[in-house]
Amino acid sequence: MKSNAIRVNAKDNVAVAVHAIKKGSPVVVDGQHLLDSVEEIPLGHKIALSPFSKGENVIRYSEPIVETTQDVPAGGWVHVHNTQPILSDA
Amino acid sequence: MEFMGYRRENGKVGIRNHVLVVSSVSCANGVVEAIGRALPDVVTVVHGYGCGYGRIEDVIVSGRVLSRLADNPNVGAVLFIGLGCEVLSPDRLVGEVKGKPVEVLVVQKDGGSAATTAKGIQIAARFLAELKVQERVPASVSELVVALECGGSDAFSGITANPAVGVAADRLVAEGATAILSETTEMIGTAHILKRRGATIEVGEQVERLVNEHEKKVREELGDRAGMVIAPGNIEGGLSSITEKSLGCITKAGSTPINEVVGYAERPTKQGLVIMDTPGYDIDSMAGMVGGGAQMIIFTTGRGSVAGFPAVPVIKVASNAEMFRNMPGDMDVNAGTIADGDKTLDEVGQEIFDLVLRTAGGQKTCAEVNRSQPFNYLKQGPTF
Repeated sequence: MKSNAIRVNAKDNVAVAVHAIKKGSPVVVDGQHLLDSVEEIPLGHKIALSPFSKGENVIRYSEPIVETTQDVPAGGWVHVHNTQPILSDA
Repeated sequence: MEFMGYRRENGKVGIRNHVLVVSSVSCANGVVEAIGRALPDVVTVVHGYGCGYGRIEDVIVSGRVLSRLADNPNVGAVLFIGLGCEVLSPDRLVGEVKGKPVEVLVVQKDGGSAATTAKGIQIAARFLAELKVQERVPASVSELVVALECGGSDAFSGITANPAVGVAADRLVAEGATAILSETTEMIGTAHILKRRGATIEVGEQVERLVNEHEKKVREELGDRAGMVIAPGNIEGGLSSITEKSLGCITKAGSTPINEVVGYAERPTKQGLVIMDTPGYDIDSMAGMVGGGAQMIIFTTGRGSVAGFPAVPVIKVASNAEMFRNMPGDMDVNAGTIADGDKTLDEVGQEIFDLVLRTAGGQKTCAEVNRSQPFNYLKQGPTF
């Protein structure tokens, strides 16, 4: 299968859409169909590869980049509307 | 692992064997350019200052960049052209240049522009003939200093080109080479992460201090407009925090420990991954790293920067296939294949590493073929 999202590091819990992904479509990373999206994911945006609880770290490049401000389902869109910078990094 | 390079008298190895003709002040640029027209094989370097400085620090920095470019192991011989009344006279530049032929001409002393040009052509032609007979000899990959740069980044830079360069950087460091990460502005948001990657506690603290002080300076300078530089830049493009954006930049440095932090155009004393304090502006940044001894630059771009650099090969890595196809002859590697699913990250990283070795051995990059060699240096103070 042709990949439509990229996970740069094996530890990452989100992948980045290389095309816009319609709601209910397969999310394919490294040629593997990992899960289906539960909403539209714009090009260049992040999709949750597993469920997030509120307050959990989003990991990219094997590092925490933001934390969730609400629960996010697997296949959900992860961005500024449901995350915030991690305050303890300041 | 070896490549074939030019051994210099100071023990360093160059991957090119250039004759450099460089002005000490912009007033002398015309003579440099005239020599370049007569001898297209020389590398001419002209620039905008050499005088009119408001701050001694700027005199020192431009002098350091110019003299260390001349001292770079890719340069086999250098001719400085001065005017005669400038602040940054050639005698301030020659001291740093060791182990290679150096000549100086001064327009006001050598009979004016036409006569100086004629003398310069004679000297540069002699240099070309002398260097032509020099042969490449085996050298270790551990003697390579590779500068890492990104410019004109787009949404894909952080997921294709930069991570692929990171794979190549890790391989280079594993072979004992040195990789320089720069552009301090693009580390804002990752001070705490880079600190952990310091090889020693001291280096970690130096990096953290460097990035935090730079962030403070940006906020002071730009005030309300600091968001232009520090904000995620493109929330619409999908970046959710400045940390995420900067991680996308620093990923081109790979995953090895940071062994040293050096100032602008300063020479690293350690091998492996080092950080140099430079602006985000590509040309100044490259000039700093070349001043630090980099023989080659790997430059990722999404929008399509075509900037090369004088005397130093720049390998261009395109983040997306569309730009790679739309700018034929400007890009050396198509990392957009990762997004298209045609190649893996590791495959493109290996491709970049292999190209680094071939470039070291003499294969020309697109920017070299195109003779794209913009030149500038950091200048922070006023002009009077």
